Amino acid sequence: MMRGAATRSGRAAAAAAGALALALAAAPGHVRAQSLAERQSLEYPVKANYLVRFAAFVQWPPPAFATPQSPVVICVLGADPFGAALDRAAAAHTAGGRPVVARRISKVDARTGCHIVYVGRSKEQSQNEALRALAGTPVLTVTDFGGPRGVIHFAVVGNKVKFHIDDRAASRGGMTISSRLLSLALSVRQRG
Amino acid sequence: MSASAAPESHRDRRPLFPMIALASVVVLLVAGVSMAAFNERLYAMQKVREATVQADILAATVAAPLAFDDEQAAQDYVEALAANPEIAAVGVYDERGARVASYQRVGETLPSRAAPGRPVFQGGRLAVTMPVVQEGDGLALGLVHLRVVVEPVGRRLGRYAGVGLLILMASVVLAVLGVGQAQLGRANAELRKRALDLADSNRQLQEQMAERAKAEEALRQSQKMEAIGRLTGGVAHDFNNLLMVASSGLDLLDRTEDPEKRERLKTGIRQAMERGAGLTSQLLAFSRRSALKPQVVDLAARVEGLRMLLDRSLREDIAVDLNLPEGLWPVEIDVNEFELAVLNIAVNARDAMPNGGLITIAASNEHGEEGSPVPGDFVCLTIKDTGEGMTEEVAARVFEPFFTTKGVGRGTGLGLSQVYGFARSSHGHVEAESRPGQGTTVSIHLPRSHKPLSAVEPTPGPRRAAGRAKGRVLMVEDDDAVASMVSQMLAQLGYRASRASTADAALKVLEADQKFDLVFSDMVMPGDMDGRALAREIRRLYPHLPVLLTTGYSEAAAQAAGDGLRLLMKPYRIDALAAAVKAARNEAGTSAASA
Repeated sequence: MMRGAATRSGRAAAAAAGALALALAAAPGHVRAQSLAERQSLEYPVKANYLVRFAAFVQWPPPAFATPQSPVVICVLGADPFGAALDRAAAAHTAGGRPVVARRISKVDARTGCHIVYVGRSKEQSQNEALRALAGTPVLTVTDFGGPRGVIHFAVVGNKVKFHIDDRAASRGGMTISSRLLSLALSVRQRG
Repeated sequence: MSASAAPESHRDRRPLFPMIALASVVVLLVAGVSMAAFNERLYAMQKVREATVQADILAATVAAPLAFDDEQAAQDYVEALAANPEIAAVGVYDERGARVASYQRVGETLPSRAAPGRPVFQGGRLAVTMPVVQEGDGLALGLVHLRVVVEPVGRRLGRYAGVGLLILMASVVLAVLGVGQAQLGRANAELRKRALDLADSNRQLQEQMAERAKAEEALRQSQKMEAIGRLTGGVAHDFNNLLMVASSGLDLLDRTEDPEKRERLKTGIRQAMERGAGLTSQLLAFSRRSALKPQVVDLAARVEGLRMLLDRSLREDIAVDLNLPEGLWPVEIDVNEFELAVLNIAVNARDAMPNGGLITIAASNEHGEEGSPVPGDFVCLTIKDTGEGMTEEVAARVFEPFFTTKGVGRGTGLGLSQVYGFARSSHGHVEAESRPGQGTTVSIHLPRSHKPLSAVEPTPGPRRAAGRAKGRVLMVEDDDAVASMVSQMLAQLGYRASRASTADAALKVLEADQKFDLVFSDMVMPGDMDGRALAREIRRLYPHLPVLLTTGYSEAAAQAAGDGLRLLMKPYRIDALAAAVKAARNEAGTSAASA
């Protein structure tokens, strides 16, 4: 019953998200209305937070971790837009009982030891190269709007940070993304 | 005592059941109230559990929206809950306690901020606040606040009212049972009391019956005496005649030598004596007090034997005609009662014929059909008079005890009731037929007996003296005349008689001389010792010496018979004396031989 309600409301959320964002944007007096500067200043801490929180909604295949206590490693490839916000978020969270750690890297492949990779702009490895290198591996690739898409692709709708999910890519890597997370996505590329 | 103790203990027991009923009612009430309280508690616990589960589910579903700040998704989840009518309000709060999604029904309010806490019942609502945590980590993401409608107390009470009604009904049933039991107890006590009263009155009735039976017995006896009284006049007259015959005969005997004339005179005297003896023996038998002693007898002979008595007890202007055929069947009756019954009917007939008349006594063999008063063969004895007769009403009541038409002092009203009693005790039947002016016929039906005739009473033997015997007899007799006569009779029989005039004198004689073959003693004598005591004493001192007693008193005779003593009733003739002496000697001889 609740499960049914959740999926129904999940689809409703996805369909209604844009309309709500527009409504909020068209109401300048609203408490939620924020200036562009404020929005931009909040955007990356929110994304940093999400990046950490994704870990709790994703299930990696067992070989991805050495031990049950092995940390979930979040790597930022290339330029780091999060700064200390990511480290704070990582420190404040756990995922499935595992600690979360953040690493900055300039190049990535399947053997780098990352579980989540924020694919930024790196001088050593282009975003497309990185995504190709990680395709089909149990590494959750996160990309930002305006570039190629990873498994999770951030978008800003209205004044809110949202995301698209490519569940097919995730399943190719042996990962399972919680339906609860899928229900929040703006769009979901279903498993083939 | 025991009779009064039983209801007492019952009274003690009586309040027990109502007490039990009351206790049961109390127990039921307590059980009902505790059940309601328990149910209430159970209901609250269940509600809390339901709300908690609901909140847990909500917390799990809003974890992701809270983690990714998706208020819209959270709101969708919250509104999905609105389909449940029990949910009054839902709030979702972020990790800082600020509300991010909510749903309220009309009239409900939600706090704008929330803090975790225990479930709270308030105003018909149950508020549950549950933390939203990240799955698997316990990482706090926010809170959900759920408020559910609690079924109103009134409705719950309504539900309990069903149970209450059952309890009430059970209580009423118990109360009714209790009251019923108490009533039943009272009714039982009442019944017991009545049964006791009944037993009491029954006992009284039995006592009265016994007293009445005694009184009736006494009256019967007195009635007999009354009849005897009636007889006495006639009997005295008759005896005077007999004595006249005897004394004049003796006078004439002295004055004539003609043997033929003397023999005629002697025969006349003897006949007079026999009539006198017959009269006295009948009187004695009549006044004897005895239990019913059924004998098989020939009615004709019995009635014939009564003729003399009837002649004496009726008046001279009344004739008695007997019509008794030969070959009547034997009947089993108490002879004395029978004679009294005939006499009673005859006396009644006499009284019904103040100017004289005829009494006809007839008998015949008859046969009764099945269902008649005396079925089978019976002998019908009818006593018919030519008197004034009776009306139907009187005839119908004539056998009732104490019913009499005679004036005070002239009749007891028991005469015909004795007849009725006799007929009944003989398994027979009696009926009276009468019409005014045409006389009365009383019929007694007595069933035929198939037993042999009872031994006939000893009839006078031959008048010749028995064979001469030898022996010595000690005669104890206070009356000189009797003593002289009896010693002559004994001498005639061949015995030598010595005489003692008292029992003491007799014992003295025996002390000196025991060579007697028999002691022949009168029973009623002056002095300390009577004949009975003497006989016992002799039996003790000289066991081989036979004793023969004689008396004219029927009562004394009965006592002697009770002691097993040999007895000769006065008056007796020489033949009877010879036989009695011989029998006494023989008996003593055999008992001595066997001893």
